[in-house]
Order: sequence, then C-alpha cells, then structure tokens
Amino acid sequence: MECIITIELGTNGVRVFAFDLSGHVLHSMKGHYPTFHTDPDHSEQDPEQIFITTLYVVKNLLNQYIYPKKYKVACICFSAAMHSLLAVDKNGNPLGNAITWADNRAKKEAQELRRSALGSSLYAATGTPIHPMSPLLKIAWLRNQDNERFKQTSKFLSIKSYIIHQLTGKYLIDYSIASATGLLNIHTVAWEADALQYAGITAAKLPELAPIFTTAGKLKMAYQQSLGLPADVKILIGSSDGCLATLGDGVKGEGKATITIEDSGAVRVMGPTVLKDEQMRFFNYLLTDDCYVSGGPTNNGGNIFDWFAKQFGDFTQPFDITHSIQQLLDEAAQVPAGSDGLLFLPYLLGERAPIWNANARGAYFGINIKHERKHFIRATIEGILYEIYSIGKSLGEQRTIKSLSVNGSFGTTPFCTQIIADMFNKPVHLRREFHSVSFGAWLLSATEMGLYRSLDEAARIVELPDMYEPDQQRHAMYADYFNIFEKLSTKLFDEFEAIGNLQQQYAATNLLPHNSPL
Amino acid sequence: MHQFVLQRGKSAELRLFPHISELGIKKNGAIQLNTFLSTATEDIRLYYILDGKFGWRINHQPYVLYPGDVALVLPGVPFGSDNGVLDIGSFTWLHISMQKLENGHLLPGKWSGLSESEGAAIGKILLLNYSPVLCRFNEAGKILKCIHAELSGHEIGYQTRVNHQLDELLIQTTRHMTMQSNPGRDFPKTFMHLEEALRRDLSYQWTVEEMAALVGLGTTLFTERVKSYSGFSPINYLINIRISEAIKLLKRPDISVTDIALDTGFYSSQHFSTTFKKLTGYRPSEFRKNHLYNK
Repeated sequence: MECIITIELGTNGVRVFAFDLSGHVLHSMKGHYPTFHTDPDHSEQDPEQIFITTLYVVKNLLNQYIYPKKYKVACICFSAAMHSLLAVDKNGNPLGNAITWADNRAKKEAQELRRSALGSSLYAATGTPIHPMSPLLKIAWLRNQDNERFKQTSKFLSIKSYIIHQLTGKYLIDYSIASATGLLNIHTVAWEADALQYAGITAAKLPELAPIFTTAGKLKMAYQQSLGLPADVKILIGSSDGCLATLGDGVKGEGKATITIEDSGAVRVMGPTVLKDEQMRFFNYLLTDDCYVSGGPTNNGGNIFDWFAKQFGDFTQPFDITHSIQQLLDEAAQVPAGSDGLLFLPYLLGERAPIWNANARGAYFGINIKHERKHFIRATIEGILYEIYSIGKSLGEQRTIKSLSVNGSFGTTPFCTQIIADMFNKPVHLRREFHSVSFGAWLLSATEMGLYRSLDEAARIVELPDMYEPDQQRHAMYADYFNIFEKLSTKLFDEFEAIGNLQQQYAATNLLPHNSPL
Repeated sequence: MHQFVLQRGKSAELRLFPHISELGIKKNGAIQLNTFLSTATEDIRLYYILDGKFGWRINHQPYVLYPGDVALVLPGVPFGSDNGVLDIGSFTWLHISMQKLENGHLLPGKWSGLSESEGAAIGKILLLNYSPVLCRFNEAGKILKCIHAELSGHEIGYQTRVNHQLDELLIQTTRHMTMQSNPGRDFPKTFMHLEEALRRDLSYQWTVEEMAALVGLGTTLFTERVKSYSGFSPINYLINIRISEAIKLLKRPDISVTDIALDTGFYSSQHFSTTFKKLTGYRPSEFRKNHLYNK
C-alpha cells in the first residue's frame, strides 16, 4: 500500500500528515520550533532547528505509525508559511537566522515604498502588499542595515527552499512562495526587474522558479537511510499554507471564499484573475500560472482571544488554557448577539487588511453601566470576527461570494462559526478534522500522481459536511453594529498614531521592575 | 517583639549552626542615615518586612518593599540603600552560607536534609529564575519566626527543627519565585523561558525534574504540557536543540567534534555521533566535510 506524506512548515512548528491514496489521514504528528525576538521588531527562526525538527518528526511518524502498517511512501509534499527570508553563503550555509513573516524590521523601508509611485506599480506587478513582511523589503533592509551579510549572501532563500536544499541539494522556490516575496511578476511568472533593482539584487541571487508540481530532485542517500525511504520517493515542492488551505477547502470555482482563523487570520478567494485595488489592500498569490489566490490577512485572530484568556480567564490547573477558553465561551454564550452594544476593536498587534495600519491599537467602545464581564468576553470574540467580516466585505466588492468555508482552530469553534455565518449572512461549511492545508497538499500530490486529471477535478471532491446557517435577525443586528465598528476602525487614525508613539516613548523610560514605583 | 541580632562566631545560640551567619529583627523608629549601606556577601540573604515601607537597592535596581514582601539577595549581589538610609518600620532577616561549586552552582551544605539532586535543582533554579523581590510571601515570615523561637527555646529536637525550617525556607522561596515568574497562564511564554535557560547551559545534564521545577510544575503535568505543546517529550526536545546547535558548530572549522559533543551536552563524542547519525544519516565528521563554511 502506498501513502502520501505532507510536511507543513508553519509559523510555530512543523506538522506532518500521512494520508492513504483515498485521502484518509493515517496519522499526524507535530514538532514545535521557537521564534526568537532579540529586538521587539525582530522575529527570527533557526533554520537548523527547523530542519532537525522536521527530520525528527518525519522519522518518528514513519517508524511508529507508517512502516509497522506496511505502507510505502510514494510522495512527500511540502507546504510552508509565506514571506520568510534566509540568506545563505555560497556553500548553502545560513548567514544568521531566517527572518519570518512577522518581522517588522523593514517598517521604514515599507512606509516609504508604499507611498511612492514605484510602490503602486510593484504592488500591481507582484501582488504582494508593500509591507515589512515582504522579502522584497527585508532584502532592502539587509542591504541598508546589514550590508556585510548582504554582500556575503550567495542566495536569498525561503525556509522551504532551505529545507529542500538540505534534502536534495537543489535551490528551488515554488510559484506560490515566490509570488509572496514581492519579487515575482505574477502576470508573466518571472522575477520582476523593477523589484530586483529596488532590492539591489539580480535573479541569480534567488532560487530557481518551479511550478508547484515540480519534483525537487532526488533525496540524498543519507536521508534515504536515516528515514528509511526508497530512492525513488518523490519530493514534491508543493505550495504555500495560504494557497493550500484554500485548495484544501475546495474553494476553486465561482462564488466561494474561505476564512482561516488560527493565531492570525485571512479571507481568501481563488480564480483566474487578480483582484485590483488602488488602496493596495489585497494580496494576489499564485497557485498555478493561471490560478490566483487572493484576499486579505489580519494580524488579530485567535491570538487576541488567547491574550484575553491569559489575562482574564480562570485557571484551575496551571497552563490549562483550553479549559479557561471553554469557560469564557460558555459565559459569552449567555450574552445576546451584539453584546448589548459593546464593541471591541481587536488591533492589539496593529493591523494589515483591510486598514493596513501598523499603529492601530485595541479599544472597547460603547461601554454602559449594565455591561458585565461576560459582555466583554463576547465583545472580544465579536470584534475579532467583525474584522474578518470587514475583509470579506471588501473582497465582496470585487467577487460574488455565495458560500463560505472556515478553517483554523479559532474559526472552527462552533460559537465562532455561527457568528461568522450570522455576520456574513451566508452558509458556512467546515470539516470536522482541521487540516485544510495538509489536505490541500494531499490534493496536489494526488493530482500530480494522476489520481485526478486536474486541480479543478481534485477540488471538486472536497466535502465539508458540517454547515452553519445564518440567522436573519442576528445578521441585521450585527450589520447595524458593524457600521459603527467600520467607522471606528479608521476614525481614530491620528489617535492610534499618537498613542502608539507615546507607548514607544515611555516604554523606554518605564523599564523599572513592576514593584518599584519610586 | 524584641530586637536582636545573632552572629556566627559571636552568639552562642548559633554554635550548632555554622551555616547561619546572621539572623535578627530590627525595629526602626526614625529615619536614619548611613546605617544601611550597600554590601555584597557570599551568603544568601533574606529580608522579610514586618511593617513599614522600605526603599532598597538590590543589584543596582531600586525596589520598594511592603509588609509581607521578601528581599532575596543571592551571593555576590550588592544590597543596601542609597546613602545608607533606613526607613521607618521593622523587618527580620537571615543570612545563610551556601556551598558554591566551581561552575557557579549553589548547593545547601551538609546540614540540609534535601537530597543531592533536589538541593542542586533548588540552587540552580534560584539562579535561573532570580527575581530579587518576592511579593506577599507570608510563609517566609512564619518560618523565620519559628526559627527564632526554636533558637531561643532550646527544646528537645531544636537542632533538627531549625535545619528543617531552613530547608523549608529554601523550598518555599524557590516555589514562590517560580510561581511569581510563571503564573501558570501563558505556556508559550513559559516554554520560551525554559528554552532560553536550556540554551544558556546546553552542556549541563538537565533532568526532567529540574526542567519541571524551573517552570513550577510537577514532572507528570510538565511532561504532558510539553508534549502537547511541542510534540516532543522534554528530553527529546532538548536533544533536538542539542543537535541543531551542534550542526551550527560543525559548520565552523575551528572547534573539534569532541568539543562540540561536550559543549552541546552529549556524554561523549561516541554518544553524539550515534545520535547524530540516527537522525541525519551522517556521522558528524562526514557532515562537517560536506558543509564547512568557507574560511
């Protein structure tokens, strides 16, 4: 019997799934790797630890669950978080850590480029919003601020490209990850000359472009041995987590959109054309050369509710946040939809889509004397979801959305899924096991292996059995409150900036320990 | 409450307790200058506030302490107040001499009833989780009061009881400090602190008990939480870090494989080689040949 292994190189760790050829999950395992913040704006990961963790998890999964059942691995397919950047020398050895999507060091470069005419034309050509997350701006930052490393760099890789290079010796980058670098022209599917020039590099400094179905070379002998894999195991380069979550939910075709809410979130559609937007709010990434995954990302998803739980939840057992969150959800359910008019702006981490304002901050609004603790709980959840709705609404200006699917641990909480259905006034589908990204990677592998004729055909087999129907009355109420939410999200622009500046200014002087109010 | 000071070498009460270098109670009725000057000693020093409010400087940082708070001063840490000012109020204190090992680790002495591994773990955690002010730590006040009573009462068994109380004080202090730095809410953050501590001292032979104590959990619950968060058992996660660090060192030409093995916490280069090969398919020397940085 053959099986397919999918490897998802995520923000917090690696997730490895084993599927049989009918798409059933045989087993899955994960391995955490840390993110280092040596500076508040920095967010880095150790490429060696990512590699070792990946090997470790794959090896354990194969030895413990796959080989004992006599499965043979036919194919290994990769997915990865977007926007990472790793500089390597001419021997392929890392020059420092990998810089993740959450890194903000290039904020000054981003601000300048976003305001310029070049910024608009690069956005239109590359589909990547002008933002510090973009490898384009990270490379520009390295050139400006770490010129020694910049000059030593032989290749600028993504984390996935590095892992593939370790395994097979090839420097490759798939279309999806490449289209999220800010350096790829998504219309011609070639590196964009203006972007290369802005970054100060030539195409030779980047890995070779490869469609998502590309076999990324042959697995090195040493890893064949340590992992017990056959020499002919196919290493598929695969795609990005965002693109594969969209594919994995079957969102190929008209009228569908998918919502992902893990720590952060996104609303995405898929189609043969890009979304054009003068305000540069949306991304357009490539799944294949004639299929775009478009949408908007938010910084503030489940991580904001985690924050709330850590501050205000009850912990009967140390570190039992699952229990704490369940209690909060139970309490929130005692409050009617709309939280009796208490609104929450969830911008604790600044915001990307749709307002693209790094200075934005959180706020509770409309508090009256009757509001209780439970109202704050519900308002917090509703605020996170109003923001998701806000992205969906702006996407709806360009695409007709008839039905939605939801994935990610926060979004698939029944309480949240129902609110999403009510806010959007649309039916929401989801699957019981939450692995849309890996299932997308399975669909990709199965198509490559000839089990389906095309990704379209593969996407059509996706069944999302659970459905939530919207409630008209609640929808009307949410729509009324959303009007105010939407106004507040931009109305406070100057004050967001002012408070952000003060927070930064006084953070420097308030470094004294907590109990020394001298 | 009577004021008193007992000092090693001077007070007969301490004859049986050479590890206690000083203890006492002070009641200060008026602000005094030049009486509480900054000093650094080789003892662990604990100051428990009974009443009033004291502005002290510990390790160059200013703190204000209120009744129920404890100032914990580790060996070598400067402690006192600016201009030697002593505020109005009262406090009680205790100085204990610890054994200091070559690697800087602290151990309670032979007097202690703690097992060797628990004593070592407590010494390590005090250093790693060190926060100089322990807030609302009333247990410490009770233990100090009990020690005073035993020392003045001389009842049968008092020698044993005093040492028991000292052990109790070390245990409670460690637990309180860990609780204060890891309030049991944010596992990702706590795990990151743990990871930093492991990386700072990767050559050390960490035990699960020590790691668990560092975050203030029992070993069973700790192992469960680590497994569900990281996907690995604590020891396997540690091996993971060790190999990742070893890979980085292997890429540098200036350090021998044996040194790398020991620096990253493997027992021997053989142990390192076997573990490394099992995971990567390469022996460390082969891996090095293929991956050296250009000089």
